[in-house]
This record gives sequence, structure tokens and C-alpha cells, in this order.
Amino acid sequence: MAEREEGFGISTASPSTALPVATEVASDGGYTAGPVLVATDVVVSYGGVHAVDRVSISVARGEIVGVIGPNGAGKSSFLGALGGQVKRSGGDISLLGKDISSMLPHQRARLGLARTFQTTSEFAKMTVFENLITSGEGNAGASLKEVVLHPRKTAQRERAMTDRAWEILQRFEMEHTVNLYGRELSGGQRRLVEIMRCLMRDPAVLLLDEPMVGVAPHLTGKLIEDLRAIRRDGLGIVIVEHALEVVRQLCDRVVVMAFGKVIAQGSFEEVVQDASVQAAYLS
Amino acid sequence: MSVWVFYISTLVIYFGVDLLAGIALNLQFGYAGVVNFGFIVFQAAGAYMAAVVVLGPSGGVASFQQYIFGSRLPFPLDLVAAAVAGAVVSLVIGLFSLRRMRRDYQAAVLLIVSLIALQVVSADVPLFNGSNGLTGVTWPLGQIVGVTATGAPVIYAAWTLAIAAIVFAAVYWLSKSPWGRSLRAMRDHEDAASAMGLNITSLRLQVFVIGGAIAGLSGGLLVEYIGAWSPGAWGYAETFVIFTAIFVGGVGNYRGVIVGVLLVPVIFLELPRFLPAVGYPGLIDSLQWVTIGLAWMLCLLFRPRGILPEKRMEVTKPAGVPGPAVVPSEGGA
Amino acid sequence: MLSQLLASAADGIVLAAIIAVAAMGFTLQFGLTNVLNLSFGSVMTIGGFTAYLANVAGLSAWLGMLLGGVAGGLATIALGRGVLRLYARRRTQLFEMMMVTLGLSLVIDYGLQSISQNAIYGYTVLQASPVRLGPIVLTPIQLFIVLLAIVILVVVEAALKFTKLGKALRATAVEPSLARSCGIQTGRVVLITWTISGFLCGLAGVVYIISTQSVDYSTGELFLPLIIAAAILGGVGSLRGAVVAAVVMGIVTEVVAGFGGAAYSTVAGFAILVVVLLLRPGSVSGGAEDRQLVL
Ligand SMILES: Nc1ncnc2c1ncn2[C@@H]1O[C@H](COP(=O)(O)OP(=O)(O)OP(=O)(O)O)[C@@H](O)[C@H]1O
Ligand SMILES: [Mg+2]
Repeated sequence: MAEREEGFGISTASPSTALPVATEVASDGGYTAGPVLVATDVVVSYGGVHAVDRVSISVARGEIVGVIGPNGAGKSSFLGALGGQVKRSGGDISLLGKDISSMLPHQRARLGLARTFQTTSEFAKMTVFENLITSGEGNAGASLKEVVLHPRKTAQRERAMTDRAWEILQRFEMEHTVNLYGRELSGGQRRLVEIMRCLMRDPAVLLLDEPMVGVAPHLTGKLIEDLRAIRRDGLGIVIVEHALEVVRQLCDRVVVMAFGKVIAQGSFEEVVQDASVQAAYLS
Repeated sequence: MSVWVFYISTLVIYFGVDLLAGIALNLQFGYAGVVNFGFIVFQAAGAYMAAVVVLGPSGGVASFQQYIFGSRLPFPLDLVAAAVAGAVVSLVIGLFSLRRMRRDYQAAVLLIVSLIALQVVSADVPLFNGSNGLTGVTWPLGQIVGVTATGAPVIYAAWTLAIAAIVFAAVYWLSKSPWGRSLRAMRDHEDAASAMGLNITSLRLQVFVIGGAIAGLSGGLLVEYIGAWSPGAWGYAETFVIFTAIFVGGVGNYRGVIVGVLLVPVIFLELPRFLPAVGYPGLIDSLQWVTIGLAWMLCLLFRPRGILPEKRMEVTKPAGVPGPAVVPSEGGA
Repeated sequence: MLSQLLASAADGIVLAAIIAVAAMGFTLQFGLTNVLNLSFGSVMTIGGFTAYLANVAGLSAWLGMLLGGVAGGLATIALGRGVLRLYARRRTQLFEMMMVTLGLSLVIDYGLQSISQNAIYGYTVLQASPVRLGPIVLTPIQLFIVLLAIVILVVVEAALKFTKLGKALRATAVEPSLARSCGIQTGRVVLITWTISGFLCGLAGVVYIISTQSVDYSTGELFLPLIIAAAILGGVGSLRGAVVAAVVMGIVTEVVAGFGGAAYSTVAGFAILVVVLLLRPGSVSGGAEDRQLVL
């Protein structure tokens, strides 16, 4: 497991950048050198019913793609197919040019895919700190062999993970929660822990399933700011979100799903004008 | 030698054996969340293996007991064989039962394995002498030293405790290692753990096989002391004595496991031997099982995490980590 | 060879009928409440002992069968209402519920062991000279058991489909909170399901001991693997599935036994479940952890 060099540098955004939310549509530009994630005609079916029906998506470096749609549109199922949690019955997915379609979730993760879940997935009986260091890209605990046979290397990795964890905790102003169990956190804090866990992995692509649910309004702005800071390092983000205001502020591109199909895509302004989107939301 | 020395030594030996089992089950259930309702099968595998490699070649149908793999291995190969048997049986059973499956199905499948293994071993006489079981097992290490296990129970007790202590230390270290932490992550949220790069299938299989090896070892130690092993010794309910012990003591807490192993098997199963005989022979045995069942249910009702819950691993911010004031700032958006 | 096969298959059908009666009860309960009830085998034993006692008391075997069913129903209600409810109120998770039922089964099994003095009791009733159909030899009571399973399947299926209660049950099984908000009294639905399922369970215990001609405290426990396997194999909540699975398992078990592998006959039946778990992981995995407890 080679550590990837590029990654979101904590140092690029100090807490002072947690300014009030900017109102213009984000477009930092200059990070579109080839897609990091390409999904083509992905199909997910549950007992014959197509929950995701030939959905394609392409995410460039530094790009934030929003996926919106009414309840039951198949957004979470689509993310599951990308992450490997849900069985895909058709289509191809490639990450950084590698075909990951039939890989297991942990293999995809090790190639640079990180994700959060719609229902928060914190490790409930582990402290926040443990949540983070266990999730790190360099977590030595992933391999029994290494822990037993290479104690020195393991200790080194632990130190690296620890430093990284403190950086990220500080970045998200969560240092006071380090010793709390996952189950003792508030809903918003759990979301943050999930995102922090992903960042421990220096992912190339980040999939977020409704990350703003339960997050206090004043933190939403900060989280948006954080996500923008992250993407400047060339990370591609796919975000499923119901709060259209968040989508408007954050996403470069929006994909609208309904009944498993993509019914529109384009900039936020374009898709909200789209007649079929309005119909889907009203129905 | 007084009866008391013998009795206390026997209790200590049982404690050592149950402690080994408790450690293994706690690693599997308390740390990794693998609900091994067939645990006793792996202990039985070790016991049978130790028995047949100590008993010497089988006399076949003609002799009073028949079995496979009959041989006479020197110490310490007898116990190694027992641990390997536990590990191999775990590997085989784990390969099909540990797949991504609902946790309740998984538990049920392992329980079924336990029930069926018992039926098969009881019915298939050439395997391990059917329901009569094997007797006459001796203690290879004792032969070197020149004692028998029942002749020198104090020595055997010390020996059992020594092994239990070594295994305890090893498992303790493993479970506090980053690997043990990964197990807990898997226990708490499987999908998230695998999304964070942990290979769930292999972690689960590892913990299953390690636990199986320890179970096998404990079976070997037990059979070399009591000298006999038969289906009567490993009914499916035996698994739940150990489960109850770690429930009572504290799931995921090693001090709790020790407490539970002292309390449950020793108090529930051993102390009643002092009671005056009531009813028909066997009544007390049945009532012990009822008590175990009740203790199990009460634990789930009142103290699902045991008397001593899992310990929180607290950290404090190291001095080397830059505080907010010294964060290098390069200006944001 | 062929006649041996046919004879074994016929035995298999009889075994299948017994498994089916129990598995239908199990799947009905499991499909609705989502609790994998490991004390089901113990309730079967209760049914068996009730029939035995009825016989000792001089009642007719048919009445004994009915009483066995009733005892199973009452026991199940007592367990569901008396015990499981207690845990549900403490927000015990589904999985821990299964562990509770396991504790229950220890208590019942060994309670029965202590009461029955750990003895095996013979139960030879309704045995008549067998009917010969070529190589197939069946006793009238065996034919009756097969018929009973078919009747139960048809009646319960029809009830699920056409009665108001059946519709309420299906709605509750799919989406309990929605059903509740639609005015369905889910508590009552669950109670009635416990009753029917317990009745079938007790009945299965009786027909099982009629067929094996003896009863002891572990009767149900040893039969439980077959029931669980059939219910999972057939798809949880599906009566027809459970019956089909029971037929497959019954025939495989008896054919293996008929060809000399008596020790491995149950293993063979169980092997089918394993194969299915391997081939159709979708049927047993997935969002199952989100299922909710319905009590
Ligand atoms: N495990 C499953 N088995 C069967 N059907 C499922 C499963 N998971 C989801 N579905 C169905 O697939 C469809 C899409 O579900 P999905 O969760 O992907 O939608 P979503 O767009 O994320 O909705 P929401 O906005 O409510 O989160 C829904 O109709 C849902 O009922
Ligand atoms: Mg969703």
C-alpha cells in the first residue's frame, strides 16, 4: 500500500477561511485534467426492479458533482454501486483509469475511493480518535501480518496516523470530542466524523450521501467551505443532497435522477429550469 | 493426597480451560462481532485430535474403541495437533459461514453446524467411536516428567494456567493492537469498515481461525486431563456457558472475561456438586442448564455490556501537534 | 435401485410434510416479527410432550394432536407477550432478540429435561398396517401427515390472500409503521400470527413424534436445523417457498439415509442450505440489518 503523495493538504486552508458562505457558484477552475471517476450505464436492480437504470457520470479532478432527485430516485443505490456496497447488474466503473467494476469495497477504497453513508456509519463503540486512525490510508491494523511481523513499521504508521488525525480534528474543530464514543455524538458531529474519516484516506474521489442532514445550520456553511477547500487539491466529489441551496453553492455540475434514470444534467441554473425536473419534483 | 487438593486443582484446570475458551470467544464476539454459536465444535475438534494422536494406532473394529488418525505423537505435537485441528475446522466452516450474510443467519448457521456435527460424530462410529467416545487418553508431557495428569493434578493445574497465561498475553496484545482496533471497527459498522479499506472477509476469517486454534488447544488440554471425550461433553449448550461467562463479566473487557469465567462455569457448574443429592440423578445437571439460560436472559435484559464494560481508550493531544495558532496559513478562496 | 430410490423418496415426502408444517409456522412468524426464533424447536417439544400426556391421560390421539397444537400456540403467546415484549420495551436489537430466544430455548429444553427425568418416552399411536403402492410403503398416518401439510398450506395461503387479517398481516410484514398509520392494529396482527405459528409448531411436534414414535427433551432441538434451513431456503415469509424447500430437504435427507449414509443424512439436507447461501447471497444479505422488530 503505497501512500499517495498528493492529498488534501490541511495547511492550504486555515480556520480563518471559514468565512461566511460565499454566494457565488463555486468554480475554482484549473483542475479538470482528465476524469478521476467514470461510471458508464450503471444498472442496479432489486429483484427485477431497476433502482438505477443506465446512469453515467464522469467526475474530473477538483470537480464537485451533485446528484439530486426525489426520494427513492436511486441516488443512494447509485453511490452504493460506485462504492461496491450494492451489487451492480450492469455498466462499468473506472477510478483513475482503472476498471473497478467488479472490485470489492475495500479494494476500491485502497485505490482512492472514500464514501459516507446516508445513515451515519460512525464506529459507535470506538472513540472519535479511534474512528479516525482506524480509517487512515496507512492503518497498519488492516494487516495482521504487518502488525505481528513488523512492529517497528506498525509503530511508525501509528504515529503518522495519529499526527494526521490531530491535524484533521483541528481542521474541523472537533478536538474536544476525541475521547467521545461514536454513539455519544450528535447527528451533525457524526457526519463530520464520517467526512474526517474519509479525509484520513487522502482519497482521489469522495462520495457523500446527504452529508448535511443533521448538521447545524451554522456548520453547514463551514462544511461547504471545507469541501471547497478539499477539492482544491484535485479531489473529485460526488454529493447526493436534498438541500438545493447547498447544491447551488457547492456543485459545478448537477445530475438529476428520477425513477432510476438521469432526467437532466448541467449547471444548477440549467437543471432547475428544466421542465422535466420540475415535473419530477412535483409528481 | 487429599481430596481437597484434587478438587481445587480440578477447578483450577477447568478455570484455565474455560479462560482459554473465554479469551477466544471474546476476541471473536467482543472484538470482531462474529457470533460463533458453534464454538464448542472447535474445542471438540481439538479434544478429539489430541485424543487420537495420544492414544496410538486404532485397533479398528475389533478393539473396544475405533477412531481415525490413530498415532502416538510426542509432546508438544499433541497440543499443536489440537490447535491445528481447531484452526482447520474453523477455516473450513468459516469459509462458508462467514460470507456476507445477515448476522442472525450467520449465528443460526453456526448453531446448526454445532447440532449437526454432534449428530454426525455420534452416529459415525468409525470416526471417533460414536456416542461412546474415546477413553484412555494420557498426558504426553507428564510421561516425560514421569507423572500422570490425575496423579499430579497440581502440576497439571500449573501447566494449564501457564498456557492460559501465555495465550492470554498474546491475545491481549493482539486485541489492543491496530489489528484489534480494525476488528472493532468491523464489529461496529461492517460497510463503513470495508469502505475504509478493511478487508472484512479476511479479518473475519483470521479471527475465526485464531479463535478456533485457541479453542482446539483448550480442548486438547481438557482431554489430556480428564482422559476421555465423547459427544456428551460438547452439546450445543456448552457454547452458551462461555457466552454467558463473557456476558456476565463484560463483553470486550478482559478483566470481565476473567471474572465471568470464574463466576459462571465455576459457580454454576462446579459448586452445585456440593449440594446434597436431590431428586433423581441428573436433576441438578438439568437445573444448572436452566440457570445458565436464565442468567443469559437476565444479562441481556439488565446488563447487555456485562459487569465491566469495554474500556475507553482515551488520548490526550500530544505536545508536538501544532495548535490552532501555529497552523501555517496560505490563505483560502 | 430405482425401487429403493422411490421408497426413500416417499419417506422423504413424509419427512418433508413434517418439516413443512413447522417451517410454515416458523416462516410466518419470522417474516412478520423479524426475530429468528431459536426457541421454536423447544415449543415443538412442548407440543410433543402435551400429546404424550394426553395419551397417558387416555385421550384420543387426534385430540392429543389438537392439544399439542394448542399448547404450542399458548406457549408461543406466552413467550412473545411475556418475554420478548419485555426486551422489546428495552429497545433490544433484533439480533439480541435472537439471543434471548436462545436463552429461552435453554430454559425450556432443560426445564423439560428435569421434569421428564431425562428419559425417552415411547409414543406409539395411530399406527396401522402399511399401505403398499409398488415399492412405496406408507402407513395411513403418514399419508394423513402429508395431506395435513397440503391442507395447511392451502388454507393459510388462502387466508393470507383473501381475508382482511391476511392483508393486514402482509402489510405489517412489509412496512409496519406504514401499516400502523393506516389504522392496522399491528399488535393484534402479531398476536394472531404468534398464535397460528405456535399452533403449527406444536402440531409439527406431535406429528414428528408420531412419526419417530418417541419424545424426549431434545426432540425439537434436533429438528430445528431442518426448520430454519427450510424457512431460509424458501425465502423468509413465503409459505410456498418453505414447503418447496421442505420437500427438497426431506427427499435429499431420506435418499441419503436410504443409501446407507444415515449418519450424514441431516448433513445432506443442510448442505442444500449452504449451497443456496453461497449461490444466492442476495437472498440473504443486503439491507437486512435495517429491518425492524415488530412485536
Ligand atoms: N436493499 C433494497 N432492496 C430492495 N429495494 C431497495 C433496496 N434499497 C433500495 N431499494 C429501492 O430502490 C429504490 C431506490 O432507493 P435509493 O435508496 O437508492 O433512493 P434514494 O434516491 O437514495 O432515496 P432517498 O432520497 O430517500 O435517500 C427505492 O424504491 C427503494 O425502495
Ligand atoms: Mg438515499
